[in-house]
Amino acid sequence: MLSPDRLALPDYEYLAQRHVLTYMEDAVCQLLENKEDISQYGVARFFTEYFNSVCQGTHILFREFSFIQATPHNRASFLRAFWKCFRTVGKNGDLLTMREYHCLLQLLCPDFPLELTQKAARIVLMDDAMDCLMSFSDFLLAFQIQFYYSEFLESVAAIYQDLLAGKNPNTVIVPTSSSGQHRQRPPLGEASVLEGVEASLFSQCLENLCDRHKYSCPPPALVKEVLSNVQRLTFYGFLVALSKHHGINQALGALPDKGDLMHDPAMDEELERLLAQVPGLVNSAPANPEAGCLPFRTPPRVGSPWRPLHHARKVDAESDGSTEETDESET
Amino acid sequence: MAAVEKRRPAVAPAASFADSGRPAVSRAAATAESEEDFLRQVGVTEMLRAALLKVLEARPEEPIAFLAHYFENMGLRSPTNGGAGEPPGQLLLQQQRLGRALWHLRLAHHSQRTAFNNNVSVAYECLSASGRKKKPGLDGRTYSELLKRICRDGEAPEEVVAPLLHKIQCRDHEAVPLDVFRAGMLTCFVLLEFVARASALYQLLEDPALAVADRHVGQAVLDTLEGALQASDGGAVPARYLEAGSRLGPDSLALAMDRALVARRPSSPMTREEFLEKAAALFIAKVKPVA
Repeated sequence: MLSPDRLALPDYEYLAQRHVLTYMEDAVCQLLENKEDISQYGVARFFTEYFNSVCQGTHILFREFSFIQATPHNRASFLRAFWKCFRTVGKNGDLLTMREYHCLLQLLCPDFPLELTQKAARIVLMDDAMDCLMSFSDFLLAFQIQFYYSEFLESVAAIYQDLLAGKNPNTVIVPTSSSGQHRQRPPLGEASVLEGVEASLFSQCLENLCDRHKYSCPPPALVKEVLSNVQRLTFYGFLVALSKHHGINQALGALPDKGDLMHDPAMDEELERLLAQVPGLVNSAPANPEAGCLPFRTPPRVGSPWRPLHHARKVDAESDGSTEETDESET
Repeated sequence: MAAVEKRRPAVAPAASFADSGRPAVSRAAATAESEEDFLRQVGVTEMLRAALLKVLEARPEEPIAFLAHYFENMGLRSPTNGGAGEPPGQLLLQQQRLGRALWHLRLAHHSQRTAFNNNVSVAYECLSASGRKKKPGLDGRTYSELLKRICRDGEAPEEVVAPLLHKIQCRDHEAVPLDVFRAGMLTCFVLLEFVARASALYQLLEDPALAVADRHVGQAVLDTLEGALQASDGGAVPARYLEAGSRLGPDSLALAMDRALVARRPSSPMTREEFLEKAAALFIAKVKPVA
């Protein structure tokens, strides 16, 4: 009922922990951008609607990337919105390329960086053949890990590189003799034969990382569990395992279990409601000259994204070079 | 502030489009200044400061939902919103005032005593605003109505709280001073929590199949409780609290229950209502009636 933790924190930490100031500042910015609304409805009403939309997670729709990634709640809301809006893609069984998924992401967030989509695709495609097709749920689950734990994964990548290079980033912190022995082995000969790094050592390093990481990271117990099942693993092997782990998906709390990603009759109704909002906004986008950051070939697709895409995919596969050119010029 | 600062550079290039560099800078600065002025004029600055203070005072588990409610409530009473319809009737006005007072009272749990006391004062002011010309303060009828609403929303059975209401109610036309009001509100909230805990206690004693508890065991628990409450009599001496605590400790309670079980006399069962009523009566016996 009462959480003494929350009550014992200093004011500033309490506010920071719950990102209260982030939302208050954003509320003011939004208010300044919509001054006409206030004269009509009043400031209190404006704030009521703003904070309600934050609670419901609809506040991130069509906002800039810096805001979308500003808090864990925003990230989870974005993942949910992406899933809700484009679940039909998965339902139809369409397979899309990384660039096509990126277009879908840009429909919800016009300045979504291509780099993040690429990283997510690398998890699904294991770093090779980036033009391959992916199923919606594979992409979504990989994207979820990459997007939500972005900063954590950066640190993991650095640790992985260190381990691969033969140095233990935690030599001071993990002084047990056994780990020292393990560490000696790969450089002696196995490294050339075996891919990746040793799981137990990697696990210890990550445990330390979770302890001191200030951004959100997956529950340490689950990370440990993932790593305890294997002897050795590669970086992408690790990310794949994270993205497929249903406990981590649950802890993150944005999406249902993988099996339920496509089956949710209650959501279908909600989807209809959301879709009613999306075309309205998309139609107005081409009229707005500032929408130039969108790829020029998206507007014809976006009217009903999942149908023409299936067709467009073939075109993309055939004329690979030309699409790459157009995409590069946009970014 | 980060978001605000990020917005500024975006203003500058747009302005420099039209003119050379220097006027653009001053124009951007002017925009920033006028934005601040605007926020002050519309009352946003003051509004957010008050809201932030409320958040810090109450430390809600979910501050964003708290803020949404906070502004919703504020919107209900603001003239810009209410002015749209016809002037509300006296009765409606009274209901609105009660609703607002209740909302203030619930902002903070009573264990956060400073925050709770502040909110009680605000609620008191809300209610006493009704007698504009006359003396400040509220009448007994409003006060009783508020007590009833709190108890009703607290989901405690009516017969359980009725004796309390009887004890702390004021006469309809009596003026209720702030300290009586505060004591009444606090007692009411504490009783509701007490009843909720007693209910949880009964859950443990209850035979799940029969949905009743053994009368002897139930009575033994109540007696122990009574003993502890009596021990806490005689002022706020810490030693008294310790004694009360030890009487309610698991071993002495278990001993009492064990004795009751061993006796095993045939008895009629005890229902939840009866248990709650008796437990609440122990509490209410301690409440000093309003003079």
